[in-house]
Amino acid sequence: MRLRVGAATDRGRVRELNEDVYGMRLNEGLFVVCDGMGGCTSGEVASRMALDTILSELDDPAGDGSSHGREDATYLSQTSRLAEAVRRSNQVIYDRAQQDERQAGMGTTMVGAWISDHVASVAHVGDSRAYLWHRDALEALTRDHSVDGHQNILLRVLGRTPDVDVELNEVPVQPGDYVLLCSDGLTRMVPDDAVARAIVDFGDPQAICNHLIDAANRNGGQDNITLVVVEVRGNWWRHAARRWTGRRRGGRDGQAHSAM
Amino acid sequence: MAKLILQCDDRAAQEYAVDKMVTIGRLPDNMVVLDHPSVSSHHACVFSDGEQCIVEDLQSTNGTFVNGRRIGRRTLLNGDVVLVGRHKLVFDQLASAPAATTAASASISNNGETVFLDNRTLLDKLFIDSDTYRKSEALSARLTDLEHVVAARAAVDGSASEPPDVGILRVIAGPTADTVYKLDKQTSLIGKAQSSLVRLQGWFKPRVAVAITRNRQGYVATLLGGRTFINSQPLNGRRHELKDGDMLEVSGLILEFRAKG
Repeated sequence: MRLRVGAATDRGRVRELNEDVYGMRLNEGLFVVCDGMGGCTSGEVASRMALDTILSELDDPAGDGSSHGREDATYLSQTSRLAEAVRRSNQVIYDRAQQDERQAGMGTTMVGAWISDHVASVAHVGDSRAYLWHRDALEALTRDHSVDGHQNILLRVLGRTPDVDVELNEVPVQPGDYVLLCSDGLTRMVPDDAVARAIVDFGDPQAICNHLIDAANRNGGQDNITLVVVEVRGNWWRHAARRWTGRRRGGRDGQAHSAM
Repeated sequence: MAKLILQCDDRAAQEYAVDKMVTIGRLPDNMVVLDHPSVSSHHACVFSDGEQCIVEDLQSTNGTFVNGRRIGRRTLLNGDVVLVGRHKLVFDQLASAPAATTAASASISNNGETVFLDNRTLLDKLFIDSDTYRKSEALSARLTDLEHVVAARAAVDGSASEPPDVGILRVIAGPTADTVYKLDKQTSLIGKAQSSLVRLQGWFKPRVAVAITRNRQGYVATLLGGRTFINSQPLNGRRHELKDGDMLEVSGLILEFRAKG
């Protein structure tokens, strides 16, 4: 399994600052998007702290995580480790906000995916989202932690409470699938079917990102827009073999065998 | 500082702090511009007089109403609803009150910026402590609405976590460590990888062959590597919803799925 990734962030057309951030460790298959909130520049501080903490907590992906905090029996150990890193980032932001009154009340959403051994572990807090494009359909992997009908009122964020409930999900991924992480600046401006169409039309992850940022800005760009698009690909020799033989039978079935 | 909250379809649309004189009218030189024929060009004004805030009608054509009564000049109390033409403005004196209430009212009335509603603290404060909020009919209607929404959401969260029966994989043939595997995790893997529930052994076995995912409806098998057959049909790119008694052939193993352990 190989991953090809595209990513982009944009201030949008209305906000003065960009409080969104994204980050990744491509070799380990770890991707994160955070959308900060708070007065002045503190939203930027919160989202950056969340990202940095999560990436550094998972700095040693070879470690099996057995020594890390609560092990959740319902999930794979990689998912539990991701959750633990997110909870850690919540503490770091919360502590900073308590100590520094200029940053009191700062917070951030997060959505992260850790794709390893053909399974994507997804963690999220707030209204940043993850989607899976699988066999010509876009599936939501997350559910916003906001009040229905009042989508600007969040029920969970990082950094505002001493402890946070991180929602987790796991989904198997196959070659041809795409995992998309984004802030609400995209999903409030661009409907899901336009996202799906961009994946079909462009295919290339960076081209999809660029197109969707433009689309969000064309539709108003009310908020910062950030997205990370990860394409799951088979092994190089599968691609080569398919190109040589010129076989493209029945959609993606031909690519699905990716024995390692 | 006290403020006026302009409501649109019973939602807070805009807030105006009553620090100096706030003028309300149809023309753009007003601080609160209400572009509607029912509003006079300079319709009314609200200003603070020491501790109190006062609303005065500026001899408007259709009049200014407080809580349904036409007024000339009147001292505003917290939660009063000022009607100008067809527009409702709720007077909020508590804006200067304790921090939690301020933050909470900001959460409710803010329409552009994303805000955080900590349901354990702010919501409690709003719903239990501030009786004064309840006196304002419009605000309390909105809060009750929110209360329901939050309660409904909690109910959905509760039911979502109710798991199906725990299924099992029974080993029919092939070298495995155990004869029965419980599928009690969200994802159970079959493969060579250490994280696998059912470990495959041998040189040419895939690291991960099949993922079995547990969801609210049951179990789904997805091919990840190598070759797998379910009831002798190859499992390709599709996802297969497992049914009781399904037979899985995974890289030399034969396993039977049972919906109940």
